Amino acid sequence: MAQDADSRSIVSRRKFLLSSGVAGAAALAGCSSSTGGSSGDGSGDGSGGGSGGSSGGSSSGDSSGDSSGDSSGGLSGEVVNSGSSTVYPVTNAMAERFMEQYPEVNVTVDSTGSGGGFENHFCPGNADINGASRAIKDEEVEHCTGNDVEPIEFHIASDALTMAVNNDADWVDSMTFDEMSQIWREDGAEMWSDVRDEWPDEEFELFGPASTSGTYDWFNANVIGEDYNHTAQHEPTEEDNLIVQGIQDSEYAMGYFGYAYYNENSDAVKAISVAAEEGDEPGAPSLSAAKDGTYPMARPLFIYGSEAAIQREEVYEFLNFYLENAETDMVQEIGYVPSSVEMRDENLNALNDVYNG
Amino acid sequence: MAQEQSAGSGQGFAGDSGVSRIRGRVFEWLTLGATVFGLVMVTALLAYVFNDAIRPFSADPLWHLVYATTVVLPALVLLATYYTSDEPAGEVAIASTGIPIVGLVAGSGLVVLFIELLTPADWFGLVVGLVCAAAVVRLHQLTRPNAAVERLFVIVLAPLLAITGIPAMNIQRTFSSPLTTTEIVTIDAATPSLLPSVGDVLRPLLTAVPGWVLLVAAVTLPVATLFGRQVAARRGDGRGVREVVVGSVGLVAVGSLVAPLFGLAPQHWVLLATTAVLPTGVYLEGVVRRRTGVLGVAFPIVLGAGLVLGTALTNAFGLAGPSSWIGWDFLTSPTSITPEDAGIYPPLVGSVLMLVVIITLVFPIGVGAAIYLEEYAPKTGARGRLVELIEINIGNLAGVPSVVYGLLGLGLFVKGIGLDSGIVIVGGLTVGLLILPIVIISAQEAVRAVPDSLRRASYGMGATKWQTTRNVVLPRALPGILTGTILALGRAIGETAPLLMIGAAASVRLAPNGFFDKFSAMPRQIFAWSSEFDPDFRFGVLAAGVVTLLLVLLLMNGTAILIRNRYQRSD
Repeated sequence: MAQDADSRSIVSRRKFLLSSGVAGAAALAGCSSSTGGSSGDGSGDGSGGGSGGSSGGSSSGDSSGDSSGDSSGGLSGEVVNSGSSTVYPVTNAMAERFMEQYPEVNVTVDSTGSGGGFENHFCPGNADINGASRAIKDEEVEHCTGNDVEPIEFHIASDALTMAVNNDADWVDSMTFDEMSQIWREDGAEMWSDVRDEWPDEEFELFGPASTSGTYDWFNANVIGEDYNHTAQHEPTEEDNLIVQGIQDSEYAMGYFGYAYYNENSDAVKAISVAAEEGDEPGAPSLSAAKDGTYPMARPLFIYGSEAAIQREEVYEFLNFYLENAETDMVQEIGYVPSSVEMRDENLNALNDVYNG
Repeated sequence: MAQEQSAGSGQGFAGDSGVSRIRGRVFEWLTLGATVFGLVMVTALLAYVFNDAIRPFSADPLWHLVYATTVVLPALVLLATYYTSDEPAGEVAIASTGIPIVGLVAGSGLVVLFIELLTPADWFGLVVGLVCAAAVVRLHQLTRPNAAVERLFVIVLAPLLAITGIPAMNIQRTFSSPLTTTEIVTIDAATPSLLPSVGDVLRPLLTAVPGWVLLVAAVTLPVATLFGRQVAARRGDGRGVREVVVGSVGLVAVGSLVAPLFGLAPQHWVLLATTAVLPTGVYLEGVVRRRTGVLGVAFPIVLGAGLVLGTALTNAFGLAGPSSWIGWDFLTSPTSITPEDAGIYPPLVGSVLMLVVIITLVFPIGVGAAIYLEEYAPKTGARGRLVELIEINIGNLAGVPSVVYGLLGLGLFVKGIGLDSGIVIVGGLTVGLLILPIVIISAQEAVRAVPDSLRRASYGMGATKWQTTRNVVLPRALPGILTGTILALGRAIGETAPLLMIGAAASVRLAPNGFFDKFSAMPRQIFAWSSEFDPDFRFGVLAAGVVTLLLVLLLMNGTAILIRNRYQRSD
């Protein structure tokens, strides 16, 4: 074995080096004995290492340093993430940074939509962490607990949901919640002129997220109103790019998506200011407005960890890393509002309660 | 004028033939138009993708000039010479360039397998186990030549026991009815390991032996023997096998001692040499012996020399090459949040492992089904109609959308059997089911294409049905079966929808180390890149991923064509 590892490292490039340790020792184990699946592998060996970092929720700076120093050598296993496409970029970035410290922990991230993630991956026990752009629903909690999965909520960031129109739509700059509700509810307005008389006599072309998306649910509950259903007369997609593309292609189009996508495409489409009530000052979407509460369509982003999975060392360490870094500029660069210091401490305390209790 | 003469026999006919000439012409032009349109569209698309991936215009114009004069121009001149004056040499030129390239790629695939999945000791144990099993079968054949049924058991059990032994079993599963999810029965049983496999027995003995020695014994030796038999058959003297085996083992072994000086691990050299150097050598030996088209050998040499010269020149003058998205780093790194660092290594390995699962699953089942349906299944009566119905439905299954197979895989393997979602074996089984009908149909075509006269001749000489199938039909059908299977595998490697359904994740940064690890495959990764915010991902990295996938596909299809041509010629 030692011989193998040596001869490999002569030729290995950066990434081959990274995998060679695993490959040499685990190739055998990998093909003969890993029939049980992922969960058992890493839970036993590192439990002593990480607890040093775990107690200091408030003193975040040094605790992340400690835990990486202690246990990065031995920690291995898998952390499976599913869920919202809005949260995906954050989790993906966290996974990459985390794996720089713990190169043998395989953090996989999938983008399935909040509801799709709960339904197909998290609640059946196939995923450890699920991202959600809305709070978990009661029936989803029931589904999870029915499978012995106890979801633990962490509020990690906020998003300014952005309503956008074509750049040539010069007639509209702001809207109220009620107007948006008329446009996006089932059997609502069909023409622009149905909502305001001075708007053109043209039909809407609506682009929005699919019904598995948390964005869809949040918009339905908070803007359209609980009494109405979201229209089905729109182009639903889990790919926010396609929404932007659709709006770009038609003058009378309209669509909504997370602020991060608008941030990247602010030249391509025009964001409109929104006011919660008639007569309120309409607010334009921006991170600062979402942070200080002047933008009415700011919404929370969550991740949910399964209580059983958190007991595994690698999942705990990843969440610890995630929750600490959710307060930093990393999240801001992606285009969301980072969590505050209080939120971070609250999250870390909740995590440690679950882990230690 | 001929028309006027034939007018007496049928005026209408003569009139028609005047019109039909225009119709025929128009039809010809239409079909030509369709062909040109299709070709232009595909070419434009490919050019667009390659431009995005490689960005040739970001290079120094002088850089292009240097390589044009050192590589492209000589190559074109040589090809033109071959085309005009020495056609066999052109064929040799293409083959002697293509064989090392395909060999190198196949060898790299093997290297990856040995990095991620196997140790040389594992493989050695496997090969020795198979040899032992073959010896046992042969022994049984010699000692009890008439016990046919007994031998059937020996043939099945000997390899199985040699490879797996009787491992410790630990089954703990609850079976529940699929709809109501009430528990039906819980099995909880454990047996100790009864019989070690040959590999397990050998492993402690092998720890002191360097990996490359094991690989020479377990990879180079069998491959060289195969080539040796081929050379011997071609030359017709008995010495071919020994010469090829001794020569190639010696070459590979000596190379292993030298390879570390060039920064290549001996194990990797053994694999690359076996897949690239050996076939090239055997091919060249044939070329030299046949004495046709020997000049073609100059082509790869000129190409290689041109590349070396061009690289030396561009380095000397500091000419910048294109800042391509695709490159060595792209092939060896995992995906990333920064487009410049993103790579496709884990999905590449994932795709390869998935193919391994698919091949082991689909090839035996598909070919078996095809042989039964063509050779044994009843053709007449009520049962014949049933078989016909089954065949029609296999055809229909080949047309079922891949998403449906994804849902089937999700329901069957993840929710039904209870395997983890998004692991290699689930992906392989699901996509395997998807291409199974295609493999069956193409294998059936191949078996059907064997002329009936051959079968009758075989029966006429007193051969049984089994002997005919084994010795006459299968050898003739094998090239067709292989071609069809490889083309189907080409489809398998590009499938995305089933992978989305079974939960192959959007970003996986560690390559799978076994068949039960989480994985991502190339098309899944490309799809994930298509939904990134950063335009660099959607245009640059994505294009590089598409080009990688296309190259892999091209190689697979090229191999299929090579196999087909080879066997067609030998007919």
